[in-house]
Amino acid sequence: MTTRDLVLVALFAALTAVLGLVPPITVGFLPVPITLQSLGPMLAGLMLGPVRGGLALALFVLLVALGMPVLAGGRGGFGILLGPTGGFIVGWIVGAIVVGALAKRFARTGAWRAPDLANAALACVVGGIGAVYAMGVPWLSVVTGMGLGPAAASMVVFLPGDAIKVVVAVMVARGVQRAYPIALR
Amino acid sequence: MSPSLYVPGDGPLHRLPAGAKLAALAGLGVALFLVSSPIVLGAAALAAAGVVAATGVRLARLRGALAGVAIVVAIVVAANAWLAGWREAAAVGARIVALVLLGYALTLTTRTSDLLATLERLLAPLERIGLADAGKVALAVALVLRFVPELMKQAADIREARAARGLRVGPVALVVPMIVRVLRSADAIAEAIDARAYPPCKSPPTSAIPSSTGPGSADHDNA
Repeated sequence: MTTRDLVLVALFAALTAVLGLVPPITVGFLPVPITLQSLGPMLAGLMLGPVRGGLALALFVLLVALGMPVLAGGRGGFGILLGPTGGFIVGWIVGAIVVGALAKRFARTGAWRAPDLANAALACVVGGIGAVYAMGVPWLSVVTGMGLGPAAASMVVFLPGDAIKVVVAVMVARGVQRAYPIALR
Repeated sequence: MSPSLYVPGDGPLHRLPAGAKLAALAGLGVALFLVSSPIVLGAAALAAAGVVAATGVRLARLRGALAGVAIVVAIVVAANAWLAGWREAAAVGARIVALVLLGYALTLTTRTSDLLATLERLLAPLERIGLADAGKVALAVALVLRFVPELMKQAADIREARAARGLRVGPVALVVPMIVRVLRSADAIAEAIDARAYPPCKSPPTSAIPSSTGPGSADHDNA
């Protein structure tokens, strides 16, 4: 790991924090404004690959545990990680690794035509939604005593927002890669 | 962004070493899941509230954080009352309240630098077998603290630039230039760190932690 890798890891951890601090953005047809924070693992995975992407989110979770108010709405601290939604936050580490591994596996031509966009979107859906929920839902179920079924069913309300974030993550990754390509690792 | 949720003070909790508090929190966290009596858990939640009150924090400071927790607890309790009955709902609600309050008690009474020092100690065994580098972890944390205000400033600049043209800023139009601008400076920052030979070599274990010094500052001139 070079110093530049370390800087990139810190940069994407900071980006995840800032995505939670910028005011939530309203999307035309959705009734609730969505916070952009869960874009963090998707972007880190898509742009840095599994190793550095995973490290970036691990660093972010470390900052949460250390008590920095880096979560959306200025929250943070050990209490959040122990609470019902802690699994989703820890799951972002796994999510970034999975997104990165898939993005690297289906290495793109760099042209960002339709197949590349579809691959990137698939990586975000599997890693950024699937892997995160696979960590978050059982955790929610254990902490709240809800059965796995109801806990999973309650996630349905978040899926439209997540779908929008997949599209945003892919468009952002394309825009950044065109302006400033980084090799996946 | 305020640097941390830490509140200065000199109560007993402030004086306890960070490692002891972390160990106690981990132990209590497990214990709370082994108990299912709502009365015991309710007592635990009250005790946790007492611990937070003993830190001397003003309630206003915690209001935002606790409001979020309260909403989640309310939903969870309602769902449990409906699905599993009031007894179970009360136990679950009390357990969450106790866990979250204890977590806050740790965060409110422990300096970030103390937690980082504890982390460095916990990483020491991993470092010996070459899996982690505590100096690099500390440097990465310091870099994040420097990058967050930088990225916030970029976000504000981009919003203003778009507004000046009468454009609304969507997420893509906001995040792309934000990342590209900071990526451009990433190489220069990496070179500046290397030029200062930072993080320092292994020989003496580092006890001083760079708090929020920027990557460009000359404070860590170890060359």
